[in-house]
Amino acid sequence: MDAFTYFAMSWLSPELLGLTALGTFLGIYVGAIPGLSVTMAVSILISFTFSWDVNYALCLMVGVYMGGVYGGSRTAILLNIPGAPSAIATALDGYPLAKKGLAGEAIGLSTVMSVVGGFVGIIVLALAAPTVSEFAITFQPRDYMMLGILGIMLVGSLSGNSLARGIFAGALGLLIGTVGLDPMTADERFTFGVIELWDGINPVAVMIGMFGISEALHQLHHMNKAVVKQKIARIIPKWSDIKKYMPLSLQTSFIGVIVGALPGTGGDIAALMAYDHAKRTTKNPKVPFGQGAKEGLIAPEAANNAAVGGAYIPMLTLGIPGDAVTAVFIGALFIHGLNPGPLLLLEQPHMFWFTVGNLTLANIFVLIFGLTGIKLFSKIVECPKGILIPLIFLLSIVGAYAINNAIIDIWWMLAFGVFGYFMRLYGFPVGPVILGVILSSLTDENWRRAILTERGSVSDLFINTLQSPLSATLFSIIVLILVSQTPLWTKWLKPKLFRR
Amino acid sequence: MKKTTITLLAALSLSSTASFAEYPSKDLQGVIMWGAGGSTDTVMRSIAPHVEDALGQDIILTNKSGGVGAISMKYVNKKKADGYTLLMGAENPQMHKVLGLSNLDYSDMIPISILARGTPMIMARNDAPYDTMQEFIDYTKANPGKVKIGSTGKGGLTSIVLAMLESQVKLDYISIPYKGDGPALTALQGGAIDVMPAVLGAAIEQIKAGRMKAISTVDVERNELLPDVAPITDTLPEMKSYLPWGPFFGVFVKKGTPDEAVQKLSAAFKEAPFKPDFVDLMEKRGFTIMNYTGEEARYFLDAYRSTSSWLVYNAGFSKFSPEKFGIKKPE
Amino acid sequence: MSSQFSAQKTRKPGERLFCFLLVLGSVYIFWQAYNISGFSELSSPGAFPLAASAVMILASCITFLNTLKSPAVEGMRFKDHCLPPIVAIVMTLILVYSVILESLGFILSSFAFLFVTIQFLYRRSILYTLSISLLALIVVYIIFRLVFQVVLPEGIVPEREILSSIKSLWR
Repeated sequence: MDAFTYFAMSWLSPELLGLTALGTFLGIYVGAIPGLSVTMAVSILISFTFSWDVNYALCLMVGVYMGGVYGGSRTAILLNIPGAPSAIATALDGYPLAKKGLAGEAIGLSTVMSVVGGFVGIIVLALAAPTVSEFAITFQPRDYMMLGILGIMLVGSLSGNSLARGIFAGALGLLIGTVGLDPMTADERFTFGVIELWDGINPVAVMIGMFGISEALHQLHHMNKAVVKQKIARIIPKWSDIKKYMPLSLQTSFIGVIVGALPGTGGDIAALMAYDHAKRTTKNPKVPFGQGAKEGLIAPEAANNAAVGGAYIPMLTLGIPGDAVTAVFIGALFIHGLNPGPLLLLEQPHMFWFTVGNLTLANIFVLIFGLTGIKLFSKIVECPKGILIPLIFLLSIVGAYAINNAIIDIWWMLAFGVFGYFMRLYGFPVGPVILGVILSSLTDENWRRAILTERGSVSDLFINTLQSPLSATLFSIIVLILVSQTPLWTKWLKPKLFRR
Repeated sequence: MKKTTITLLAALSLSSTASFAEYPSKDLQGVIMWGAGGSTDTVMRSIAPHVEDALGQDIILTNKSGGVGAISMKYVNKKKADGYTLLMGAENPQMHKVLGLSNLDYSDMIPISILARGTPMIMARNDAPYDTMQEFIDYTKANPGKVKIGSTGKGGLTSIVLAMLESQVKLDYISIPYKGDGPALTALQGGAIDVMPAVLGAAIEQIKAGRMKAISTVDVERNELLPDVAPITDTLPEMKSYLPWGPFFGVFVKKGTPDEAVQKLSAAFKEAPFKPDFVDLMEKRGFTIMNYTGEEARYFLDAYRSTSSWLVYNAGFSKFSPEKFGIKKPE
Repeated sequence: MSSQFSAQKTRKPGERLFCFLLVLGSVYIFWQAYNISGFSELSSPGAFPLAASAVMILASCITFLNTLKSPAVEGMRFKDHCLPPIVAIVMTLILVYSVILESLGFILSSFAFLFVTIQFLYRRSILYTLSISLLALIVVYIIFRLVFQVVLPEGIVPEREILSSIKSLWR
């Protein structure tokens, strides 16, 4: 009974309801604008809500979080600039849809599936939080390393028609990710003595450059071509479509919750893994992946919103942040005089169900705000290129600056924009670059931790991997995927075993 | 003609003094050395509203992390010395010179306030076969190369605590570096590492909940929050020469900032730590409020720098000798 | 799999040079990675960069060799199809904008950039361009500077003084 009272707290109080709505609305825009991150918005809200009651502050912040994760897809679909790293995978098939005049439908579908993902995350949080968090912290360095490798294998899916070029791009991304002071030993890597490079090259700057700037530069080739008229008759997706894609979006939501709950990974990696899962499991997509497959839009969107609920799991039960945003939430709880930690739910029993209720509410607002105003948004793409392109440049530059208030990020963004322009021109996929940047430190650091743990012995690492059930499972998944993609299997064994 | 010149000059000088008397006449920018959600960020964001009240102007807080704090140091020192840009930092830059990371440390800035200090602890995984410092030392000696100790890179709190320890007793262990104490303490709970030295505030909730255990307080006396944990000097009395020692949070401005501004800022920051909600926050996180300004702050900063720099130098992982920068040996 | 490696059937102007530069760049990066910690331990900071740059060398060599085999696209010229003047000019404009951003300040440099670029690409009346640039600038300024408190480069405009005098009017 108590649980229900706390759950309904933010639904029944008009102030809390209003603040959640406001937060979600703001969050969608924060998420949509590249360079403005949810982490940043929530930190500003900490100062802003300093003197408020903690519940009021939380409602606003939870709204911003939920809305922000969803909002990243907006600019990814409309302009090919992912609003946040978790929307990178969304751009891969979302933007081609917009180019075909289906922006409205794409946004509608992504909204519905984001909300589905959000609910899966919340349900897992509500029903299995303690179990999932105990599971999540048992991930050893070697397991994180294997997750990283699983992610890197996605290069195969993102390479388009030239695997060698895809692999090159992926390796380049991994290298970009290692630039800076090595977080483990403080050795300088590719810094050339420049202090500004110590903290590395920000993934968001690479992302805005590679996706946004290079695409806008390519658009200049077709200045005379008329803009694509957007079909906005159908925005709310067909029921039959929702039913058809539901199994996929549920599967990828579960990927999202687990990856989100792991303290070392967040929504960005969840979305990429979901995209890969969609590509592997969809036998005959109506439209090929990368050219506007709806499966490729749904999977990452469901996963990154499910990761929100996932990130809350270790935060509420153990006081361990599941991602960067929940880390700021922990700070906010401290400032408001609470003690986030394993005892939080004993000291503040209302906190758990209040948060679950509030997240549910915010998720409903995502659906409402997400589906209204789509027509207006689709019009952005119809804006004359002569105006739209300069505005994209302005937004990209300000966005890159806003990441860390640093001019250097603008330079990186431009450099990768121009480089990305030539990469695209000569048939190199840019997706793997950003994939590499995101997965680089995860793989590098955990590989080194894993090998340090075994005192440098690769054979010990191998033996211990096979002895732990979790590590052995991850290992077999990697082997399975590798084998199923090699010519040995596809060309020779498979036809023999599965003869028609 | 002469008269008008004099009146003009007088007016000019008046207006220039008036502009100082009016300090602050616009918003201030507070540059936080570490990212959102970290302990520096939390402390600064909770003290800023009180300082805003005292100054009558807003402080726009921006996180500018990177380069173990060197980037924010450089940024603030590139701005005008007008008292409108504050550096809100932690202890890290004090080690930058000997580690060869940067040629700036806090001796090149004016301290406004040293807000608080943390107490380092040595934490162990719950099912580790040792409960006290002595048992830990005995176990590690009996099982060389088995115990996995987490760390946070050269010059971090962990490395200095371990350097202190190694100056007293030789231990053979595996060091596994993490990005910060947060991820390392998570790994401690998951069993990926066995022992982790970290600041009390980062672990207090986990200790209270029984998810990890504290085997020693790196201080000369017991901490109020954990009265059952013995100070490290009970086992290793020689450690006294380094202690008390701990990470701190402070607010700084560029050298050359007008005295009026420094005084107004110091006064504002002197008052703020007395606010009950701030005191409460610091107590809960296990930080000791210092509230040092002026000479007191300088003395504290110098003492910190000398202890840590020489420890790191003697442990062999500094790039330069502290002597090169005129850093005195601790007595 | 092997067919995927050579899927690029034709070659655009400049492609061979670009791929060759990538090979050179990869070798340079490999050398830099080697300099981090040499071939010491598997857990050294240089191990991962070395592995990644080795992969880069391999992949870029395969790509470069492929471009040697594939025939050039008929009737395509670098100047017209790969880097047309319009792209080069816009790239230069962005570059100039980024250079003057810090010294001139966000407001002035962004306004100049928007005005020139929109005028160049859209070619309508000056008044129209002016109003669009102003409107866009105001919206961006409000969102970034006022709502999200991103302290944009102030340059020669004393923004904070102006803002605080406006604020004092309110009080």
